[in-house]
Order: sequence, then structure tokens, then C-alpha cells
Amino acid sequence: MIHHRSPLRRRLRQYGIGYAFVAVPVLAGVIFLLIPMITTLGWSFTRFNGLQPPQFVGIDNYARLFTHDRIFIKALWNTFRFTILGMLIGPTLGLLTALMLNQKVRFQAFYRTAYFLPVMTSLVVVATIWRMIYNKHGLLNLALGALGLEPIRWLSDPHWALFSIVIASVWQGFGFETVIFLAALQGIPATLYEAAALDGANVWQRFWHVTLPALRPVILFIYIIGIIGSFQVFDQVFVMTSGGPANSTITLVYYLYSKFMDLRLGYASAIAYVLFGILMVFSYLQWRFFTETD
Amino acid sequence: MFPSRRTSLAKLMRGALYLTLTLSSLLMLLPFYWTVSTSFKLEQFVFANPPQWWPDPITLQNYIYVFTRIPFPRYLFNSVFVAVVATGAHVFFDTLAGYAFSKLRFPGRDAIFFAMLLALMIPFQVNLIPLYRIMAWFRWLDHYQALIIPNITGIFGIFLMRQFINSIPDELLDAARIDGCNELNVFLRVVFPLTLPGIATLIIFTFMDIWNAFLWPRLVLSSARMFTLPLGLAQLQARNTSTWGQIMAGTVLTALPMILIFLVMQRQFIAGMTEGAVKQ
Repeated sequence: MIHHRSPLRRRLRQYGIGYAFVAVPVLAGVIFLLIPMITTLGWSFTRFNGLQPPQFVGIDNYARLFTHDRIFIKALWNTFRFTILGMLIGPTLGLLTALMLNQKVRFQAFYRTAYFLPVMTSLVVVATIWRMIYNKHGLLNLALGALGLEPIRWLSDPHWALFSIVIASVWQGFGFETVIFLAALQGIPATLYEAAALDGANVWQRFWHVTLPALRPVILFIYIIGIIGSFQVFDQVFVMTSGGPANSTITLVYYLYSKFMDLRLGYASAIAYVLFGILMVFSYLQWRFFTETD
Repeated sequence: MFPSRRTSLAKLMRGALYLTLTLSSLLMLLPFYWTVSTSFKLEQFVFANPPQWWPDPITLQNYIYVFTRIPFPRYLFNSVFVAVVATGAHVFFDTLAGYAFSKLRFPGRDAIFFAMLLALMIPFQVNLIPLYRIMAWFRWLDHYQALIIPNITGIFGIFLMRQFINSIPDELLDAARIDGCNELNVFLRVVFPLTLPGIATLIIFTFMDIWNAFLWPRLVLSSARMFTLPLGLAQLQARNTSTWGQIMAGTVLTALPMILIFLVMQRQFIAGMTEGAVKQ
């Protein structure tokens, strides 16, 4: 008996340490992730103002969102447009600047810092700075005036407002892509280029047949991360336009926030799950990307 | 003849390259310069036409205002306090858990780890409303706890640390155990020092995340004395008495700490950023 007990106790003690080391994250995961996630799903089928107990209404919230709520459709559409525009401009700029920096230029550190600095600043700061630049009498309209063009109401014209937010966001974010692309470019073996040059490939052919294929995993990474981030856009909208004018910049998370503030918690929960559903595919890809290294 | 024409073409291309890089870099920095410049201007010159590139006269009144009439020093303290405490806790818990998931054996280990990885896919907004009510239930609304406690550990950090610890050979840990170290000491004396590069990356990501957070603090904080810098800056703009000079002074103060940290630790920042994306 005693023979068996001692290794068992030792093993228990060893397990105990393992459990102790993961206890806080597991507990935090249950309280701050698992329970909220399930609760939100439950509330999304209820009418709930946070004061009276939730009332079950079936799929009413979801049905209402897609059939009766034009602001929600607008928010959905704006979020898509924001994501597509940003994902067209940002990674392209990032790749172009990285290709330029990869030409063994002097002062590379200075250029890289200049592109990367906005990445370090919070979106609230970025939004504040651009709000001043987009002012009726701001720097951008002065520049237009100097070129003999009419001033643009960047943030108060419904045709321009969302695009203006995209520009500010791209300014903030593309340095991240520059840095990632640059590191990836520097990792491409020089022998690949030499072999291509021996085969008589010109600059374009080398780009299409060597550079681009080598960058594929990084491009995938940048798009997955970028799309997930773009779909959650909130700070810029909050500071720059509050979703206006005429809901032309309202986004999914901003709409969720405003419903939360109106204490329509069941409805807001349904919006959260629509966001979750849209992001699921991209989150899954991101998850695959992270776990593949294992 | 032909080679020299080629070299002169190459020179031209190179000139164009430097011109593009320099102009675009300056264009990138212009909004920062304009912010700093405006923060030292009198209000009547903020939108002067032609623009006043150098503030004339230089005034400190905007800074004096945000320092004395708006509690910016308090916002700064709140931001630093919350970010430092949460980041410290993150490093501790994430490394411990990463170590356990990598090197310790216990029933259910891989299942727990898998479940955690699945949870990586949940966007934060999905948890927002119940999380708010949990904070209310704990009576943490408008307290530091609401910003810190949900942020003391994170799945991405655990995953990151596990990756780093995976590369430490088991023999090294066994040697320490034979020398009489218990598990905590193995962790503190062997694992921790060897994971420092990973910890640097973890610190950078966590600190930046918490420092720049807006939506969550905006929901759980209500009184100005608890505000972090981004919240204070948004609040400053929401007042209709604020002038652009004051707002830009607030912007400079909000952005400056992070920019200084970046300039000092630039190498680690870039390495940390690229680590996850570019696999060799």
C-alpha cells in the first residue's frame, strides 16, 4: 500500500502545480469570456433593458435587424465599405513602401520610423489630429485652395465622410504593413533572384514569379488581421463623426454601442452576434494561421 | 556608350526613389508636426491663411490650460498605473500558464489549451454587455479594477509564451530539478530568463493594447478623475468651450509617452511586430 501511495501523491503534487499555473487564466477565461459569450447569445433572443428581467422574444431581434432596421443595414454596408476601401489602399501602400525600403537605401531607419510612428499612436489621437486637418479651414482645404479647387466638407458631407475616416485610418495603420512586408522581403533568399536573373527575367517577371509568391503567407496574414480589425472600427467614428452625417459613417460596433447606451441590450446582443458570425470565417483563418506553427 | 547610359538611368531611378521616400516620409510626419505646432499657437492663428507653419508668437497657454483646468496629469497617472499593473500581471500569468502548457504534464492539459485557442476567435464586442454587468456586480464600475482585472491575462500572450518555452530543451529543466529546484524555482531561475525576448514582445503588445484602449474604458468609467488619456482627450473635444490649441496640447500629451517608448525600444518593437507574421 505504502509503496503505491507515494508515487501517486507525487504525481498528484506534480499535477497540482500544472493546474495551479493555469488556474488564473482558466478562471479568467470562464468568467470574462465563456460566460459572457453564452450570456450574449441568450440575451440576443430577448427584450432586455438591464433593469427588468429579460423577456424571451425568439428570433425577433435578428428578424428585425435584417428586415426593418435600415440604420443597421446602413451600418453593415458602411462597415463593408470601410473594410474594402482600407484593405485596398493600406496593404498596397505598405507593399510599395516596403519594396522601396528594400532597395538598400540609406536612412532606411528614418523612413521606416516615419511610416511606423502613427501605428504607435492611439486611434483617438489619430482621429483628433485628422479632425483638425479636415476642418473647413484646415490644412487640407488650404491645400485644395492653393491648387484652385473648391474646399470639401470632409467630415460633414455624407459623400465624403466615410472615405475621410478611411484615409485617416490608412495613415495610422499602413506602417504596420510596411514593416511586416519589409521583414518578409528581407527573408527572401537572394539566390532566388539570381537564378531568375540568369534565366533572363526582367524586373516585373522577378516581382511576379519570385517576390509575390514568397510573400503569399504574409499577404494572407495581413489581410486576415486587417479585415478583423476593420470590422471592429469604432474609435475613429466616435471621435470624428459620431456616426453622422445622416448615418453615413455609422458602423456595426458604433451601432452596437449606441444600442447599448439606449439600454436595448437584447437588440445590441443580436448585433454582437451578427458581427461574430461575419468574423467567424476570418477568425477561423487567423486561428489556423496561429496554430499552424505548432 | 551603352553601359554609361544604363548607369545614368540607374542613377535617375535612384534619385526618384529617394525623392519619393523623402517626400512621403515628410508627408507622414506632417500631421504630427502640425499638431505640435498648433499646440503652441494662439487660437486666432490656428486656421490662419496662409498657414502659420511656425507658431508666432509661441504660447504655452494651451499647455497651462490642460495641466491646470483639465486633469491631464491625473489622466496620465491613470493610464500609466493601469497599463503597468495589467502588463505586469500579464507577464506573470501568461508566462506561468505558457510554461505549464508547454512543459508540465497534467490530465486535460491539451484539451484546456485547445479550448483557450478556440476562444481566441471571439471578438471582444461579443462579450461587452455581460462583461459590463459582471463589473457592475463586482462593484468595479468606475474603478481601476474594471480596467485591470479583465486584462491580467490573455490567450494570445499565453500562446506566445508557450511558443517561446517550447524551444527550451527539457534536459535543461531536468538538470535544474535534479539540482533540487522545485517547479516554481525551475520556472523563475531557468525558464523566465530564457524567455526574456518573448516577454519583451508580450510587454509591447499588452502595454500598447491597454494604453490605447478606448471602447471598454469609455463604457466602464464615468468620472473624470478615473479617465485614461484617450478618454480625457475625447472628453476635451466633447466640451464645446475647448479650443483647437488646447485640444492639440492634449493630443501631444496623449501621444508623447507611447512615441517616446517607441523611439527608445524601436528595435524590440519591430522585432515583436514581425515575429508572428514572418516565419522563417
